[in-house]
Amino acid sequence: MSTNVMRVPRKMDIELTAQCNLRCRYCYFFNNAAVEYKDVSTAEWLKFFDELGSLGVMELTLAGGEPFHRPDLRELLDGIIRNRMRFAFLSNGGLITDEIAAFLAQSKRCNYVQISLDGSRPETHDAARGKGAWEGAVRGIRTLQRNHVQVAVRLTIHRYNVDDLEDATRFLLQDLGLSGFGTNSAGYLGNCQRNADEMMLTTEERQRAMETLLRLNQKYNGRINAAAGPLAEGQMWRRMENARAMGAPEFSNGGHLTACGCTFNKIAIRADGAIVPCNMLPHIVLGYINRDSLQTIWQTAPALNDLRERRAIPLSNFEFCDACDYQPYCTGNCPGLAYTLTGQVNHPSPDACLRRFLADGGHL
Amino acid sequence: MNSTDKPIVNPLVVLREEFDDWAVLFNPDTADAVGINPIGIVVWKKMDGTRTLADLVAQVRATFAEVPDSVNDEVSAFVDNLAQKGFVGYEASASP
Repeated sequence: MSTNVMRVPRKMDIELTAQCNLRCRYCYFFNNAAVEYKDVSTAEWLKFFDELGSLGVMELTLAGGEPFHRPDLRELLDGIIRNRMRFAFLSNGGLITDEIAAFLAQSKRCNYVQISLDGSRPETHDAARGKGAWEGAVRGIRTLQRNHVQVAVRLTIHRYNVDDLEDATRFLLQDLGLSGFGTNSAGYLGNCQRNADEMMLTTEERQRAMETLLRLNQKYNGRINAAAGPLAEGQMWRRMENARAMGAPEFSNGGHLTACGCTFNKIAIRADGAIVPCNMLPHIVLGYINRDSLQTIWQTAPALNDLRERRAIPLSNFEFCDACDYQPYCTGNCPGLAYTLTGQVNHPSPDACLRRFLADGGHL
Repeated sequence: MNSTDKPIVNPLVVLREEFDDWAVLFNPDTADAVGINPIGIVVWKKMDGTRTLADLVAQVRATFAEVPDSVNDEVSAFVDNLAQKGFVGYEASASP
Protein backbone atom coordinates (compact mmCIF):
# COMPACT_ATOMS: atom_id res chain seq x y z
CA MET A 1 0.00 0.00 0.00
CA SER A 2 1.14 3.56 -0.68
CA THR A 3 2.56 5.58 2.16
CA ASN A 4 0.46 8.30 3.78
CA VAL A 5 -2.65 6.20 3.53
CA MET A 6 -4.90 5.83 6.52
CA ARG A 7 -5.62 2.37 7.95
CA VAL A 8 -9.24 2.75 6.87
CA PRO A 9 -10.93 5.63 5.09
CA ARG A 10 -11.89 8.56 7.24
CA LYS A 11 -14.72 9.64 4.96
CA MET A 12 -16.99 7.94 2.46
CA ASP A 13 -19.10 9.23 -0.40
CA ILE A 14 -22.28 7.18 -0.48
CA GLU A 15 -24.69 7.28 -3.40
CA LEU A 16 -27.65 6.29 -1.30
CA THR A 17 -30.02 5.85 -4.22
CA ALA A 18 -30.13 5.89 -8.00
CA GLN A 19 -33.60 7.45 -7.85
CA CYS A 20 -34.01 11.14 -8.44
CA ASN A 21 -36.95 13.50 -8.82
CA LEU A 22 -35.00 15.52 -11.42
CA ARG A 23 -33.11 14.78 -14.63
CA CYS A 24 -30.60 17.59 -14.83
CA ARG A 25 -29.04 18.04 -18.24
CA TYR A 26 -25.50 18.15 -16.90
CA CYS A 27 -25.81 15.56 -14.11
CA TYR A 28 -22.60 13.55 -13.70
CA PHE A 29 -24.47 10.63 -12.18
CA PHE A 30 -26.86 9.42 -14.87
CA ASN A 31 -26.11 7.92 -18.26
CA ASN A 32 -22.90 6.18 -17.43
CA ALA A 33 -22.76 2.91 -19.35
CA ALA A 34 -20.60 1.31 -16.68
CA VAL A 35 -23.10 1.88 -13.88
CA GLU A 36 -26.03 -0.31 -12.91
CA TYR A 37 -28.75 2.03 -11.71
CA LYS A 38 -30.41 0.07 -8.91
CA ASP A 39 -30.60 0.49 -5.16
CA VAL A 40 -29.40 -1.85 -2.47
CA SER A 41 -31.93 -2.63 0.25
CA THR A 42 -32.36 -0.99 3.63
CA ALA A 43 -30.98 -4.09 5.34
CA GLU A 44 -27.88 -4.09 3.15
CA TRP A 45 -27.09 -0.44 3.87
CA LEU A 46 -27.61 -0.99 7.61
CA LYS A 47 -25.29 -3.99 7.61
CA PHE A 48 -22.67 -1.97 5.76
CA PHE A 49 -23.00 0.95 8.19
CA ASP A 50 -22.27 -1.52 11.00
CA GLU A 51 -19.04 -2.43 9.20
CA LEU A 52 -18.12 1.25 8.83
CA GLY A 53 -18.80 1.83 12.51
CA SER A 54 -16.55 -1.05 13.51
CA LEU A 55 -13.77 0.36 11.31
CA GLY A 56 -13.97 3.87 12.76
CA VAL A 57 -15.13 5.72 9.64
CA MET A 58 -16.03 9.22 10.75
CA GLU A 59 -18.10 10.96 8.08
CA LEU A 60 -20.43 10.00 5.25
CA THR A 61 -21.49 12.28 2.42
CA LEU A 62 -24.88 11.05 1.26
CA ALA A 63 -25.72 11.71 -2.36
CA GLY A 64 -27.45 9.98 -5.23
CA GLY A 65 -29.54 10.32 -7.26
CA GLU A 66 -31.42 12.35 -4.71
CA PRO A 67 -30.78 11.05 -1.19
CA PHE A 68 -34.01 12.50 0.20
CA HIS A 69 -35.84 10.31 -2.31
CA ARG A 70 -35.24 7.22 -0.12
CA PRO A 71 -38.42 6.40 1.78
CA ASP A 72 -36.35 4.64 4.45
CA LEU A 73 -34.02 7.60 4.99
CA ARG A 74 -34.83 7.98 8.69
CA GLU A 75 -34.01 4.34 9.28
CA LEU A 76 -30.74 4.65 7.38
CA LEU A 77 -29.77 7.76 9.33
CA ASP A 78 -30.52 5.92 12.58
CA GLY A 79 -28.05 3.26 11.42
CA ILE A 80 -25.40 5.88 10.73
CA ILE A 81 -25.97 7.59 14.06
CA ARG A 82 -25.94 4.29 15.93
CA ASN A 83 -22.54 3.57 14.40
CA ARG A 84 -21.10 6.84 15.70
CA MET A 85 -20.66 8.62 12.39
CA ARG A 86 -21.50 12.09 11.15
CA PHE A 87 -23.05 12.80 7.78
CA ALA A 88 -23.69 15.45 5.14
CA PHE A 89 -26.02 15.54 2.14
CA LEU A 90 -25.75 16.59 -1.49
CA SER A 91 -29.28 17.36 -2.61
CA ASN A 92 -31.42 19.28 -5.08
CA GLY A 93 -33.52 20.44 -2.13
CA GLY A 94 -36.92 19.72 -3.63
CA LEU A 95 -37.88 16.87 -1.29
CA ILE A 96 -36.77 18.39 1.99
CA THR A 97 -39.61 18.74 4.47
CA ASP A 98 -39.81 20.36 7.88
CA GLU A 99 -40.10 16.91 9.39
CA ILE A 100 -36.82 15.59 7.99
CA ALA A 101 -35.05 18.92 8.56
CA ALA A 102 -36.08 18.85 12.23
CA PHE A 103 -34.79 15.30 12.49
CA LEU A 104 -31.42 16.33 11.02
CA ALA A 105 -31.16 19.21 13.47
CA GLN A 106 -31.96 17.16 16.55
CA SER A 107 -29.60 14.35 15.47
CA LYS A 108 -26.61 16.65 16.11
CA ARG A 109 -24.73 14.61 13.49
CA CYS A 110 -25.46 16.52 10.31
CA ASN A 111 -22.48 18.59 9.16
CA TYR A 112 -24.44 20.31 6.41
CA VAL A 113 -26.87 19.83 3.58
CA GLN A 114 -25.53 21.09 0.27
CA ILE A 115 -28.24 22.25 -2.12
CA SER A 116 -27.62 22.73 -5.82
CA LEU A 117 -28.90 26.14 -6.81
CA ASP A 118 -27.83 27.48 -10.17
CA GLY A 119 -29.34 30.92 -10.44
CA SER A 120 -31.11 33.91 -9.02
CA ARG A 121 -34.38 33.07 -10.74
CA PRO A 122 -36.23 30.02 -12.08
CA GLU A 123 -35.27 30.56 -15.72
CA THR A 124 -31.53 30.13 -15.25
CA HIS A 125 -31.80 27.17 -12.87
CA ASP A 126 -34.71 25.32 -14.46
CA ALA A 127 -33.17 25.47 -17.95
CA ALA A 128 -30.83 22.68 -16.88
CA ARG A 129 -32.89 21.10 -14.11
CA GLY A 130 -36.52 21.20 -15.16
CA LYS A 131 -39.56 23.29 -14.39
CA GLY A 132 -40.17 23.86 -10.71
CA ALA A 133 -36.66 22.83 -9.65
CA TRP A 134 -35.61 26.36 -8.61
CA GLU A 135 -38.62 26.78 -6.36
CA GLY A 136 -37.91 23.38 -4.82
CA ALA A 137 -34.29 24.24 -4.15
CA VAL A 138 -35.11 27.59 -2.56
CA ARG A 139 -37.88 26.05 -0.51
CA GLY A 140 -35.43 23.37 0.64
CA ILE A 141 -32.86 25.96 1.67
CA ARG A 142 -35.42 27.97 3.62
CA THR A 143 -36.74 24.81 5.29
CA LEU A 144 -33.26 23.86 6.44
CA GLN A 145 -32.55 27.38 7.66
CA ARG A 146 -35.85 27.48 9.55
CA ASN A 147 -34.85 24.27 11.30
CA HIS A 148 -31.30 25.43 12.03
CA VAL A 149 -29.57 22.91 9.78
CA GLN A 150 -26.29 24.12 8.27
CA VAL A 151 -26.86 24.85 4.57
CA ALA A 152 -24.24 24.89 1.85
CA VAL A 153 -24.98 25.80 -1.76
CA ARG A 154 -23.22 24.66 -4.90
CA LEU A 155 -23.77 26.72 -8.03
CA THR A 156 -22.83 24.86 -11.18
CA ILE A 157 -22.05 27.21 -14.02
CA HIS A 158 -23.30 26.39 -17.51
CA ARG A 159 -24.36 28.23 -20.63
CA TYR A 160 -27.80 29.15 -19.26
CA ASN A 161 -26.62 30.85 -16.08
CA VAL A 162 -23.22 32.26 -17.03
CA ASP A 163 -24.70 35.74 -17.30
CA ASP A 164 -26.64 35.43 -14.04
CA LEU A 165 -23.64 35.15 -11.72
CA GLU A 166 -23.84 38.66 -10.30
CA ASP A 167 -27.55 38.36 -9.48
CA ALA A 168 -27.10 34.79 -8.24
CA THR A 169 -24.33 35.85 -5.87
CA ARG A 170 -26.46 38.68 -4.50
CA PHE A 171 -29.42 36.32 -4.13
CA LEU A 172 -27.43 33.69 -2.26
CA LEU A 173 -25.40 35.93 0.00
CA GLN A 174 -27.88 38.72 0.64
CA ASP A 175 -31.42 37.48 0.05
CA LEU A 176 -30.89 33.97 1.39
CA GLY A 177 -28.31 35.13 3.94
CA LEU A 178 -25.75 32.40 3.29
CA SER A 179 -22.28 32.91 4.71
CA GLY A 180 -20.78 31.68 1.44
CA PHE A 181 -21.31 29.29 -1.44
CA GLY A 182 -19.33 27.07 -3.78
CA THR A 183 -19.09 26.99 -7.54
CA ASN A 184 -17.96 24.61 -10.22
CA SER A 185 -19.00 24.15 -13.84
CA ALA A 186 -20.75 21.54 -15.93
CA GLY A 187 -18.16 18.89 -16.74
CA TYR A 188 -17.97 16.21 -19.41
CA LEU A 189 -19.49 13.45 -17.28
CA GLY A 190 -22.77 11.51 -17.34
CA ASN A 191 -25.70 13.40 -18.88
CA CYS A 192 -23.42 16.29 -19.76
CA GLN A 193 -21.59 14.13 -22.29
CA ARG A 194 -24.83 13.99 -24.28
CA ASN A 195 -25.57 17.66 -23.83
CA ALA A 196 -22.06 19.06 -23.92
CA ASP A 197 -22.62 21.66 -26.63
CA GLU A 198 -25.74 22.91 -24.90
CA MET A 199 -24.37 22.94 -21.34
CA MET A 200 -20.60 23.30 -21.26
CA LEU A 201 -19.07 26.76 -21.33
CA THR A 202 -17.27 27.92 -24.44
CA THR A 203 -13.82 29.43 -23.95
CA GLU A 204 -15.29 32.91 -24.19
CA GLU A 205 -17.99 32.10 -21.60
CA ARG A 206 -15.45 30.48 -19.34
CA GLN A 207 -13.32 33.59 -19.58
CA ARG A 208 -16.32 35.75 -18.68
CA ALA A 209 -17.31 33.52 -15.77
CA MET A 210 -13.76 33.54 -14.45
CA GLU A 211 -13.48 37.32 -14.53
CA THR A 212 -16.92 37.80 -13.02
CA LEU A 213 -16.34 35.36 -10.18
CA LEU A 214 -12.90 36.72 -9.34
CA ARG A 215 -14.41 40.21 -9.15
CA LEU A 216 -17.43 39.08 -7.11
CA ASN A 217 -15.28 37.09 -4.74
CA GLN A 218 -13.27 40.21 -4.03
CA LYS A 219 -16.41 42.29 -3.63
CA TYR A 220 -17.89 39.76 -1.16
CA ASN A 221 -14.67 39.23 0.81
CA GLY A 222 -13.86 35.69 -0.29
CA ARG A 223 -17.29 34.24 0.39
CA ILE A 224 -17.29 32.31 -2.90
CA ASN A 225 -15.22 29.15 -2.98
CA ALA A 226 -14.33 26.60 -5.62
CA ALA A 227 -12.26 23.47 -6.00
CA ALA A 228 -13.01 23.30 -9.72
CA GLY A 229 -14.65 25.41 -12.41
CA PRO A 230 -13.98 28.98 -13.53
CA LEU A 231 -13.23 30.52 -10.12
CA ALA A 232 -10.75 27.80 -9.15
CA GLU A 233 -9.21 27.94 -12.60
CA GLY A 234 -8.95 31.72 -12.50
CA GLN A 235 -7.14 31.56 -9.17
CA MET A 236 -4.90 28.62 -10.05
CA TRP A 237 -4.06 29.73 -13.59
CA ARG A 238 -3.02 33.19 -12.43
CA ARG A 239 -0.69 31.60 -9.90
CA MET A 240 0.71 29.37 -12.63
CA GLU A 241 1.19 32.24 -15.05
CA ASN A 242 2.91 34.36 -12.40
CA ALA A 243 5.22 31.47 -11.53
CA ARG A 244 6.04 30.86 -15.19
CA ALA A 245 6.72 34.54 -15.85
CA MET A 246 9.06 34.75 -12.85
CA GLY A 247 10.76 31.41 -13.58
CA ALA A 248 9.69 30.21 -10.14
CA PRO A 249 10.64 26.72 -8.96
CA GLU A 250 8.22 23.85 -9.47
CA PHE A 251 5.16 23.86 -7.21
CA SER A 252 5.30 21.18 -4.51
CA ASN A 253 2.42 19.38 -6.23
CA GLY A 254 3.42 20.38 -9.76
CA GLY A 255 4.91 18.49 -12.66
CA HIS A 256 3.15 15.19 -11.98
CA LEU A 257 -0.37 13.73 -11.95
CA THR A 258 -0.86 14.78 -8.34
CA ALA A 259 -4.57 15.51 -8.58
CA CYS A 260 -6.47 14.37 -6.83
CA GLY A 261 -5.70 13.32 -3.26
CA CYS A 262 -9.12 11.89 -2.47
CA THR A 263 -8.02 8.26 -2.60
CA PHE A 264 -5.78 8.82 0.41
CA ASN A 265 -8.59 9.49 2.85
CA LYS A 266 -11.89 8.51 1.30
CA ILE A 267 -13.64 6.07 -0.99
CA ALA A 268 -17.07 5.90 -2.62
CA ILE A 269 -20.01 3.52 -2.82
CA ARG A 270 -22.40 3.42 -5.76
CA ALA A 271 -26.15 3.03 -5.24
CA ASP A 272 -25.95 -0.61 -6.30
CA GLY A 273 -23.37 -1.33 -3.60
CA ALA A 274 -20.27 -1.28 -5.80
CA ILE A 275 -17.19 0.03 -4.04
CA VAL A 276 -15.41 2.52 -6.33
CA PRO A 277 -12.47 4.90 -5.79
CA CYS A 278 -14.56 8.01 -6.46
CA ASN A 279 -17.97 9.02 -7.76
CA MET A 280 -16.16 10.43 -10.78
CA LEU A 281 -14.62 7.02 -11.52
CA PRO A 282 -17.65 4.73 -11.17
CA HIS A 283 -16.38 2.28 -13.77
CA ILE A 284 -13.52 1.11 -11.53
CA VAL A 285 -15.30 -1.46 -9.39
CA LEU A 286 -13.14 -2.56 -6.48
CA GLY A 287 -15.72 -4.88 -4.89
CA TYR A 288 -19.21 -4.89 -3.40
CA ILE A 289 -20.46 -4.00 0.06
CA ASN A 290 -21.23 -6.86 2.44
CA ARG A 291 -19.47 -9.26 0.09
CA ASP A 292 -15.95 -7.84 0.22
CA SER A 293 -14.09 -6.40 3.19
CA LEU A 294 -13.85 -2.64 2.88
CA GLN A 295 -10.65 -2.62 4.90
CA THR A 296 -9.02 -5.20 2.64
CA ILE A 297 -10.03 -3.26 -0.46
CA TRP A 298 -8.79 0.00 1.03
CA GLN A 299 -5.42 -1.50 1.88
CA THR A 300 -4.78 -3.90 -0.98
CA ALA A 301 -6.92 -3.24 -4.07
CA PRO A 302 -4.43 -2.86 -6.93
CA ALA A 303 -6.62 -0.38 -8.83
CA LEU A 304 -6.85 1.86 -5.78
CA ASN A 305 -3.13 1.75 -5.16
CA ASP A 306 -2.52 2.50 -8.83
CA LEU A 307 -4.56 5.68 -8.40
CA ARG A 308 -2.57 6.63 -5.31
CA GLU A 309 0.66 6.07 -7.18
CA ARG A 310 -0.54 8.12 -10.11
CA ARG A 311 1.15 11.12 -8.52
CA ALA A 312 4.55 9.66 -9.39
CA ILE A 313 3.81 9.93 -13.13
CA PRO A 314 5.53 13.00 -14.60
CA LEU A 315 3.62 15.23 -16.99
CA SER A 316 6.65 15.08 -19.26
CA ASN A 317 5.56 11.52 -20.10
CA PHE A 318 2.63 12.85 -22.09
CA GLU A 319 2.68 14.09 -25.63
CA PHE A 320 -0.24 16.29 -24.58
CA CYS A 321 2.13 18.23 -22.30
CA ASP A 322 5.07 18.43 -24.72
CA ALA A 323 7.03 21.68 -24.39
CA CYS A 324 4.45 23.19 -22.06
CA ASP A 325 5.91 25.97 -19.92
CA TYR A 326 3.27 25.35 -17.26
CA GLN A 327 4.32 21.76 -16.54
CA PRO A 328 6.18 22.56 -13.27
CA TYR A 329 3.05 24.18 -11.89
CA CYS A 330 0.37 21.82 -13.22
CA THR A 331 -1.24 18.88 -11.35
CA GLY A 332 -2.91 17.21 -14.34
CA ASN A 333 -6.27 17.78 -12.63
CA CYS A 334 -9.27 15.49 -12.25
CA PRO A 335 -8.68 11.84 -13.23
CA GLY A 336 -12.44 11.38 -13.71
CA LEU A 337 -12.57 14.03 -16.41
CA ALA A 338 -9.29 12.76 -17.85
CA TYR A 339 -10.99 9.40 -18.30
CA THR A 340 -14.18 10.65 -19.94
CA LEU A 341 -12.24 12.97 -22.24
CA THR A 342 -9.29 10.76 -23.19
CA GLY A 343 -10.28 7.23 -22.20
CA GLN A 344 -7.32 7.11 -19.82
CA VAL A 345 -7.28 7.70 -16.07
CA ASN A 346 -3.54 8.19 -16.09
CA HIS A 347 -3.58 11.23 -18.32
CA PRO A 348 -3.82 14.98 -17.68
CA SER A 349 -7.37 16.29 -18.01
CA PRO A 350 -7.57 18.38 -21.20
CA ASP A 351 -10.53 20.26 -19.72
CA ALA A 352 -8.41 22.03 -17.14
CA CYS A 353 -5.39 22.71 -19.36
CA LEU A 354 -4.20 26.31 -19.16
CA ARG A 355 -2.17 26.09 -22.35
CA ARG A 356 -5.20 24.86 -24.27
CA PHE A 357 -7.40 27.59 -22.77
CA LEU A 358 -4.94 30.24 -23.97
CA ALA A 359 -4.59 28.63 -27.39
CA ASP A 360 -8.37 28.70 -27.74
CA GLY A 361 -8.39 32.45 -27.24
CA GLY A 362 -8.68 32.69 -23.46
CA HIS A 363 -6.53 35.10 -21.50
CA LEU A 364 -5.66 35.78 -17.87
CA MET B 1 -7.52 13.87 38.27
CA ASN B 2 -7.40 12.75 41.85
CA SER B 3 -5.53 9.63 42.84
CA THR B 4 -8.78 7.81 43.65
CA ASP B 5 -10.62 8.79 40.47
CA LYS B 6 -11.47 5.95 38.13
CA PRO B 7 -11.98 7.45 34.68
CA ILE B 8 -14.23 5.84 32.11
CA VAL B 9 -14.34 6.61 28.41
CA ASN B 10 -17.40 8.17 26.81
CA PRO B 11 -18.78 5.20 24.83
CA LEU B 12 -19.82 7.53 22.05
CA VAL B 13 -16.23 8.47 21.27
CA VAL B 14 -14.59 6.59 18.40
CA LEU B 15 -10.96 5.44 18.59
CA ARG B 16 -9.38 5.35 15.11
CA GLU B 17 -6.01 3.64 15.23
CA GLU B 18 -3.68 4.33 12.31
CA PHE B 19 -0.71 2.46 10.88
CA ASP B 20 1.95 4.73 12.24
CA ASP B 21 1.03 4.18 15.90
CA TRP B 22 -0.99 7.31 16.32
CA ALA B 23 -4.75 7.44 16.71
CA VAL B 24 -7.65 9.83 16.59
CA LEU B 25 -10.39 10.13 19.17
CA PHE B 26 -13.56 11.45 17.57
CA ASN B 27 -16.76 12.58 19.22
CA PRO B 28 -19.47 12.34 16.56
CA ASP B 29 -21.92 14.49 18.48
CA THR B 30 -19.60 17.47 18.63
CA ALA B 31 -17.22 16.67 15.73
CA ASP B 32 -14.32 17.25 18.15
CA ALA B 33 -11.24 15.18 17.37
CA VAL B 34 -8.02 14.67 19.30
CA GLY B 35 -4.83 13.04 18.06
CA ILE B 36 -3.18 10.70 20.55
CA ASN B 37 0.13 8.85 20.68
CA PRO B 38 0.77 5.17 21.50
CA ILE B 39 0.81 5.81 25.25
CA GLY B 40 -2.51 7.61 24.94
CA ILE B 41 -3.94 4.61 23.11
CA VAL B 42 -2.96 2.27 25.93
CA VAL B 43 -4.43 4.60 28.55
CA TRP B 44 -7.61 5.08 26.52
CA LYS B 45 -8.19 1.35 26.25
CA LYS B 46 -7.77 0.84 29.99
CA MET B 47 -10.12 3.58 31.17
CA ASP B 48 -13.07 1.36 32.02
CA GLY B 49 -14.09 2.89 35.33
CA THR B 50 -12.20 0.34 37.44
CA ARG B 51 -8.67 1.78 37.27
CA THR B 52 -7.08 4.65 39.16
CA LEU B 53 -4.29 6.88 37.92
CA ALA B 54 -1.76 4.55 39.54
CA ASP B 55 -3.31 1.58 37.72
CA LEU B 56 -3.13 3.38 34.40
CA VAL B 57 0.48 4.41 34.93
CA ALA B 58 1.35 0.84 35.88
CA GLN B 59 -0.20 -0.30 32.64
CA VAL B 60 1.92 2.17 30.68
CA ARG B 61 5.08 1.00 32.46
CA ALA B 62 4.18 -2.61 31.70
CA THR B 63 3.66 -1.86 28.01
CA PHE B 64 6.60 0.39 27.12
CA ALA B 65 10.29 -0.20 27.76
CA GLU B 66 11.41 3.33 28.46
CA VAL B 67 8.96 5.44 30.42
CA PRO B 68 9.98 8.88 31.70
CA ASP B 69 9.69 9.82 35.36
CA SER B 70 7.09 12.40 34.42
CA VAL B 71 4.64 9.72 33.26
CA ASN B 72 2.38 10.16 36.28
CA ASP B 73 1.85 13.86 35.60
CA GLU B 74 1.54 13.31 31.87
CA VAL B 75 -1.12 10.62 32.16
CA SER B 76 -3.00 12.73 34.69
CA ALA B 77 -2.92 15.76 32.39
CA PHE B 78 -3.96 13.61 29.44
CA VAL B 79 -7.01 12.29 31.27
CA ASP B 80 -7.92 15.74 32.58
CA ASN B 81 -7.74 17.15 29.07
CA LEU B 82 -10.02 14.42 27.75
CA ALA B 83 -12.41 14.93 30.67
CA GLN B 84 -12.64 18.65 29.87
CA LYS B 85 -13.63 17.78 26.31
CA GLY B 86 -16.24 15.29 27.45
CA PHE B 87 -14.31 12.33 26.07
CA VAL B 88 -13.88 10.83 29.55
CA GLY B 89 -15.98 10.84 32.72
CA TYR B 90 -15.54 9.56 36.24
CA GLU B 91 -17.59 6.88 37.89
CA ALA B 92 -19.88 8.50 40.41
CA SER B 93 -19.05 7.45 43.96
CA ALA B 94 -21.65 5.35 45.70
CA SER B 95 -23.60 7.26 48.35
CA PRO B 96 -22.38 6.50 51.90
